[in-house]
Amino acid sequence: MASSLFSYFVVAMILLSIGLVGVFSRKNIFVIYMSIELMLSAINLIFVTLSNYYHSMSAQIIAMMVIAIAAAEAALFLSLIVVLYRRKKTLDSDMYKALAQKETL
Amino acid sequence: MNWLEFSYLLPLFIIGCGAVILMLLSPVERLSMENFSVLTFVFLTMALIGNLYYFGELRTSFPLANIFSNMIIDDSYAVYFDSILLSGGVVTSLIGTHYFQTKRKFKKEFFSLFLFSLFGMMLLVHANELLTAFIGLEIASLSLYVMIGFQKFDTRRVEASYQYLVLGSISGVFFLLGTALIYAGTGTTMLGEIGYAVDAQVGKDTSLVLIGGTFILMTFLFKISAFPFHNWTLDVYDGSPLPVTAFMAATFKVAIFGFILRIMLVDLDPIREMWDKLFVFIIIATLMYGSFMAVIQKSLKRMLAASSIVHTGYLLIAFVSIGVAGESASSSIIYYLVAYFLSAMGAFGLISYITSNDQLRVTYEDFRGFAHIHPYMAAMLSIFMLSLAGLPGTIGFIGKFYIFTGAIEAGYTVLAVVGVTATFVSIYYYFKLIALMYFYPYSDLENVPPLRGITPITIGFIAIAVIAGGLGNTFIAYFPGVDFLIDNARLSYMSLFIK
Repeated sequence: MASSLFSYFVVAMILLSIGLVGVFSRKNIFVIYMSIELMLSAINLIFVTLSNYYHSMSAQIIAMMVIAIAAAEAALFLSLIVVLYRRKKTLDSDMYKALAQKETL
Repeated sequence: MNWLEFSYLLPLFIIGCGAVILMLLSPVERLSMENFSVLTFVFLTMALIGNLYYFGELRTSFPLANIFSNMIIDDSYAVYFDSILLSGGVVTSLIGTHYFQTKRKFKKEFFSLFLFSLFGMMLLVHANELLTAFIGLEIASLSLYVMIGFQKFDTRRVEASYQYLVLGSISGVFFLLGTALIYAGTGTTMLGEIGYAVDAQVGKDTSLVLIGGTFILMTFLFKISAFPFHNWTLDVYDGSPLPVTAFMAATFKVAIFGFILRIMLVDLDPIREMWDKLFVFIIIATLMYGSFMAVIQKSLKRMLAASSIVHTGYLLIAFVSIGVAGESASSSIIYYLVAYFLSAMGAFGLISYITSNDQLRVTYEDFRGFAHIHPYMAAMLSIFMLSLAGLPGTIGFIGKFYIFTGAIEAGYTVLAVVGVTATFVSIYYYFKLIALMYFYPYSDLENVPPLRGITPITIGFIAIAVIAGGLGNTFIAYFPGVDFLIDNARLSYMSLFIK
């Protein structure tokens, strides 16, 4: 079983890395949001694997809680994306520079 | 139901129920914004009184263990931090009264979110389990994201909210990853049991707990805006409404330190030395970067945001010296949190009051000759600047004094030297404001509201508290001063180790 634990961890870490790279390299705010959700799912996979490894349900409960928190985050993300799109008519995060401080330097 | 144990958690319940009640009442049209700020104030005061009843009592308990199964702890430490958080809430609601009524587009739901955010912070301080802490952290953060972007007609607010949301979510993911790795290494997420498991593993392979702890530390370094994760601070603080900035800078940091001190002192104690070298670099970089950013700012709000990075650096100096001088260092952190909370709250609050009528951005130049037109406000602003810079006679001096002596005791003389140098640099950007206010003849700042109402009175009281905290008990007998706060900080530190 130990080798299967290892392979699940590798899969989860690959998913997490894909999410992290997605957040840092993509410009579309919708893709950024999806990358963050991917990272949360990767962590859920780790928790479920560990639950099987320790033969304990507590990690599965944690995974359920994480799904609930991710849903709350999703509500906030989607509403902010709508607000930003209405104001700027674009999803490109390079266009959001109201806070950029050029005159201070 | 055990009513005594219930009364330990009463402040938490009052704030949580208050948030729900305010949300249910918000569609009622007969209630105005003023009614809502009064209601918020009433809830906060009730919770604060319920909390102060147990203040200064050495105890540890797991209230309502059959419901929460030891996931929520209530000890003197949590009570102390709750008092700081709740007084932060009271002060924010009093300071914000004028701002929220004059600025457009603040709706009544704002107060509900404010209470939810405070509830999350208190849950974070009371958490005895990693996932409970994460839930508390997310309740606090999610409410804060909405509070920042509440005025959605302003692009700057929405963008600040979005930036904080993206970066905050990533840091939340790292917290969860750390939780998963610690669970993998120890088989539990309860704080006390992690400590036992780590104790049993010392000398063997603790790398899973070490990596997990590093991820959790990363989250907290992000939330308190320490060096590698500081970039959001200036933009987000600049883009948010001033009372919310004050709330974030002064109160949220207290809650974060409340949890991180608990986990570091109790559970990760055997392996804490691993991070010490890392922290030395982080502290030096935080202090240098924060000072540099604060010096080059023209906007007062951005300067205060940058200086909050510097204050994080001071707090981390005490944090790193915990290993050698545990009791004095941790009580100096708790004391400095109170000191920074008072000074920053006063400064942000006063500036928000001054600018509440029209301007969005306040620069140094706007305050030219301000003292000749509004002498009292200028005097209060000067007191807060002196305290932030740490001049003797203010509460900021005592806080810095304890932190630097603690660092020298622990053998981190280099850090103390860097900290004192950063303090010297900070004299420049704090005193520039005082010099501009007093040494120039005329003022451009128009539409300053008169010195009337609840907000200036609150800020005046904070100014008095800043001075009283700096003078100590020698001048004013029977008034809670330095000794009182330090003694209680020691007491709350001791309560962490009662088992």
